[in-house]
Amino acid sequence: MGAFSAREKGVAGLLGGVGVLLLIGVVSGALAPAYLLYLVSLSAMYMLLSMGLNVQWGYGGLINFSVAAFFGLGAYGSALLTANSSPIAGNVSPVIALFGGLLLAAVLAVLIGYPTLKLRDDYLAIASLGLAEVVRIFILNENQWTAGSAGLTGIPLFFADWPVLGDLSYPYVFTVGGTAVFYMRQPVINGLLNLVLVAAFVVGVYLFLRRIHRSPWGRVLRTIKTDEDLAETLGKNTFAFKMQAFVIGSLIMALAGVFYTHLVLYVSPPDLQPITTFYVWVAVILGGTGSDRGAMLGGFTIVAIQQGTRFLNDAVQLPIGPAPLRLMLVGLLIILIVRLRPEGILPPERELIWPDAMRGERDE
Amino acid sequence: MSEQSLVSDGPVLDKADPVLLAEGLEKRFGGLVATDDASIAVERGSITGLIGPNGAGKSTLFNLMSGFYEPDGGRVTVNGVDVTGKEPHEIADQGMIRTFQTPRKPEDMTVREALLVGPHDQTGESILPLFTSPSTVEREERRSLERAQEMLERFEIGDLATQPATDLSGGQMKLVELARGMMAEPDLLLLDEPVAGVNPVLADKLAGFIEELNEEGITFLIIEHDMSFIMRLADPIIVLNQGSVLVEGPPEAVRSDERVIDAYLGGPSE
Repeated sequence: MGAFSAREKGVAGLLGGVGVLLLIGVVSGALAPAYLLYLVSLSAMYMLLSMGLNVQWGYGGLINFSVAAFFGLGAYGSALLTANSSPIAGNVSPVIALFGGLLLAAVLAVLIGYPTLKLRDDYLAIASLGLAEVVRIFILNENQWTAGSAGLTGIPLFFADWPVLGDLSYPYVFTVGGTAVFYMRQPVINGLLNLVLVAAFVVGVYLFLRRIHRSPWGRVLRTIKTDEDLAETLGKNTFAFKMQAFVIGSLIMALAGVFYTHLVLYVSPPDLQPITTFYVWVAVILGGTGSDRGAMLGGFTIVAIQQGTRFLNDAVQLPIGPAPLRLMLVGLLIILIVRLRPEGILPPERELIWPDAMRGERDE
Repeated sequence: MSEQSLVSDGPVLDKADPVLLAEGLEKRFGGLVATDDASIAVERGSITGLIGPNGAGKSTLFNLMSGFYEPDGGRVTVNGVDVTGKEPHEIADQGMIRTFQTPRKPEDMTVREALLVGPHDQTGESILPLFTSPSTVEREERRSLERAQEMLERFEIGDLATQPATDLSGGQMKLVELARGMMAEPDLLLLDEPVAGVNPVLADKLAGFIEELNEEGITFLIIEHDMSFIMRLADPIIVLNQGSVLVEGPPEAVRSDERVIDAYLGGPSE
């Protein structure tokens, strides 16, 4: 332990490089600080989504094609409760709305999991594929509850009604002897607060997952992933384990949705497009299926490609638009990963054994 | 006369202390009758052999008793508890663990990790205790790790503990399966062809291990086509033919029984 593998060093170096590049962008004025904060928050949000899918697919082999739906439920759950334009509730405190969004996702996860998790993998895949569209089209059409295609506006910032943090949402000027030495505009303050919020989510989820993954619980799920019958013969209630993983994963996706609502302050049905699901799958696979750190790295990479391709066109005149280029890059990346590193960039822990129980053994 | 009377026509069900009792099990796949009124009893402390020609219904019977197939009729009792139609994991909880004909190799797992899946009702298999009582989880995990190592050493594959399970040979995998089954502390182990594709030397070793475990109180029910292996190990032997029990008796008597020879040679069954 302690020492990092060559692969980890490579990843750290690459991330450091991207960080330096972004900093140069900000200092040179090419990149607005508020936008940088937005980008970092967005990649953190994608990290949440990929960690959620990783619990389902990476730990337990559950094929969930409705990532976008659970994300959307979190987003809409929170938006419907907090937005002043909400057709049903509105103006609820975001902290309470957070739990509302999570509850909605959990209920749906149980409803869809109950009939499908007793069956073979493929049925969950098919059912979730349908579910994603059902949720999106429901939101699009049920105007009286969801505001339909217009979407929801008038969503408060997450910290809007907090005692100190809520008051920070105005320009900040630090003065020494009557002259302003440091000036922070409102979007930057809000961006910082958002970043703190999502960082707390990511760290919290990561610590939670790290503990449940390297445990007897995670081990049973790993067994289920390769051979469910085997887990059954050893007396494991595989349905219960799969349900737990499915609900936990869906909750993490919904958490990302809740954050998204308070990041962009507007949600609409296109936020539930299946392309999100596709991106999150790519993130998990390229990061290393079954690895939490890999999922985070994958989430970051996806945002880097999504957003990076926008700038590319500013820098050099390409004969191809950013949208198709983005998909091409993602495709190329998948091919490279599958050819060169089928286990992903940061593959999962080799052994799922409670770490404290192995203390005193020789390190490997 | 004396030999013939040792062999019972059909199963012997009135055993003193049966761990496993299956009565009148029926399973049809469409028009095909896989087992038809199959009944067996496995006496506690015995090594019971289950033989029969291909297609006799041995594996179907295993699947019915371990909960992988739902029977169309009949009853299964493990340790006196009716488990008919229960889920496989519920039946395993009653103390009956099975293995499969083709060894199941858990991908991405080391050998000892695969063994650690064995123990029943681990505290750390629930999420809440991972946070509320990590010390209990740690204590259990340490104990399981020790037991896993002991078990592997007992089967003379202790050096494989940290190897990926997928790197093992077929024979080694059979040993790991047995060890994993033992981690669950079963009363009864159902082994489906434990020496199929295993070299004679290892098969001999495996027979020795099974005898040892049996002396320590584990009951075995074994399907096997290797006649010398099963005849050496098992007593009684139950012969299955065309979906139900043909005869049951001690190995020497069963081997020379006319009906058994006919069944294997495809002769008239009536």
